[in-house]
Amino acid sequence: MSDPMGIDKVEASDAELVRRIRTGDIGAYGALVARYRDRLGRYAVHMIGDREDAEEALQDSFVRAYRSLARCDDPARFGAWLYGILVNRCRTTGARAARRRRMFVHDADALNGATRPEAVERLEWTDAVDRALARLAPEYREAFLLKHVEDLEYEEMSRLTGAGVSALKMRVKRAREQLQKFLREAEHV
Amino acid sequence: MMLTALLIVAQVAAQDPRLERLDPETRSLVVAVVDSARAAGLPTEPLVQRALEGATKGAPGTRIIAAVRRLTVDLGVARTALGPRSTAPELDAAAAALRAGATPQLLSELREARQPPLTMALSVLADLVASGVPADSASAVVLALAPNAGDADLVEFRRAVERDISLGAPPGAAAAVRALNTGIRFTGADAGPGQPPPRPPSRP
Amino acid sequence: MFEQEDDIVERVIRQLRRPVSIDPGVDARVMHEIASDAAPESPARRPLLRSLPWLAAAAVLAAVVVARPWTRGGNGADAFQFVLVAPQAASVSLVGDFNDWDPARSPMQTAQGVWATVVQLTPGRHRYAFLVNGVEWRADPSAPRAMDDEFETPSSVVTVGGRGS
Repeated sequence: MSDPMGIDKVEASDAELVRRIRTGDIGAYGALVARYRDRLGRYAVHMIGDREDAEEALQDSFVRAYRSLARCDDPARFGAWLYGILVNRCRTTGARAARRRRMFVHDADALNGATRPEAVERLEWTDAVDRALARLAPEYREAFLLKHVEDLEYEEMSRLTGAGVSALKMRVKRAREQLQKFLREAEHV
Repeated sequence: MMLTALLIVAQVAAQDPRLERLDPETRSLVVAVVDSARAAGLPTEPLVQRALEGATKGAPGTRIIAAVRRLTVDLGVARTALGPRSTAPELDAAAAALRAGATPQLLSELREARQPPLTMALSVLADLVASGVPADSASAVVLALAPNAGDADLVEFRRAVERDISLGAPPGAAAAVRALNTGIRFTGADAGPGQPPPRPPSRP
Repeated sequence: MFEQEDDIVERVIRQLRRPVSIDPGVDARVMHEIASDAAPESPARRPLLRSLPWLAAAAVLAAVVVARPWTRGGNGADAFQFVLVAPQAASVSLVGDFNDWDPARSPMQTAQGVWATVVQLTPGRHRYAFLVNGVEWRADPSAPRAMDDEFETPSSVVTVGGRGS
């Protein structure tokens, strides 16, 4: 059978993949999805707090990005552009998910029925973090995740969210303060 | 007699070399069916394609013949119901709808209800049944949508129903709910009160 | 006990930066959805139902996707793309009544297990299936099934609307 289209030999750049997609090579989009799935998925999971909703938001965002690929002005920055779509999509889910927010567990140990004390402690910490994150106002959570987990610069965050840089800095600061407060409360329970 | 038959077979096969993929015995029978269909004014390409499908899939000759004969009958019923001005794609789609359980009566009603071509409406009907919607429900829904929905609307309707089914909705209810949401009263057998499809079970 | 304020936040950040495993099925679902987008039903020329804005939007999107990368061929045939996600396959062919059910006519190309090809389709209803590794017949998960599987193998259906259908 014919070779996979060179993708396995040398990692094609986002710009190259976008170029191929625009000529009708839908398989190249599969490569982009695989490339960004986990990274964007992490943001969605933390932002929305519900894995199912997060995966749905992620899926939706990928589909939307494909359908509006003509509007991606700079294919070399496809990742950032895709982030913008996801950030917006997570905002609409957030309201729904908030009404039935439940905690999920990242830890593989938990899935195996952790009984070791260290594992239990790690579970409790993971839960505490999730709970604290969930208590943040959505715009604080969004800013905190984009800055500290996704490592974006404030200028980039401003482009994605539409908020000004100083407003974003304030949100991140508030988020930090509130997380400390919530986690202290959790420790003293 | 045998010589004549062989000559006829050779003639038609020469006209359509694709049929040479069939073994001689099957080929002669298929050719006979195709010829009588042509004489009756029915489209023959769907018949040839059905035979070729069987050949590629390695089906026994008897099954190929049966399939081609059945399709011929369906095309004939479709032509009677839809009228002599129906196109080959319409008849093909109508045959699929009949195979899915639509009645000739429904085909005639559809012809009254909708501007030609009917191809997409008939196809969507067959597709809905294929995804599990009972034939009478699918028929009622398509007939109800027929007067005003464009081809793209029908396709979107089908996709929406299929999505709901894949999320766990009973097929009849999925079609009924979607039809209700278009503001069309639906009276199919298992139309329940409008309900959203159930959420899938949460993953660990 | 009383951790430095920043320490708590730094621990939170470390926790949140840990990789999160996402269901790899997301990839397949995305590809299915966009494949049926680019699929083959072309938008009608009739005016859309005004009381169904979601249908109108979807049809516009479908029109945009269908009109964009795909070319209009001659004699009423348009180009459409078919996709199958089959990471384990060594070869996949698209076989249907638009290529006389000949597996040699439309072999598919792959990128990371996503197989695709483009064919010209005339208006009407078409039956087809994917032939995997030359031996296994698979229906298209993103398309309606053909009802009459009288050859005991799965087939799918694509219906092309428009002039001449």
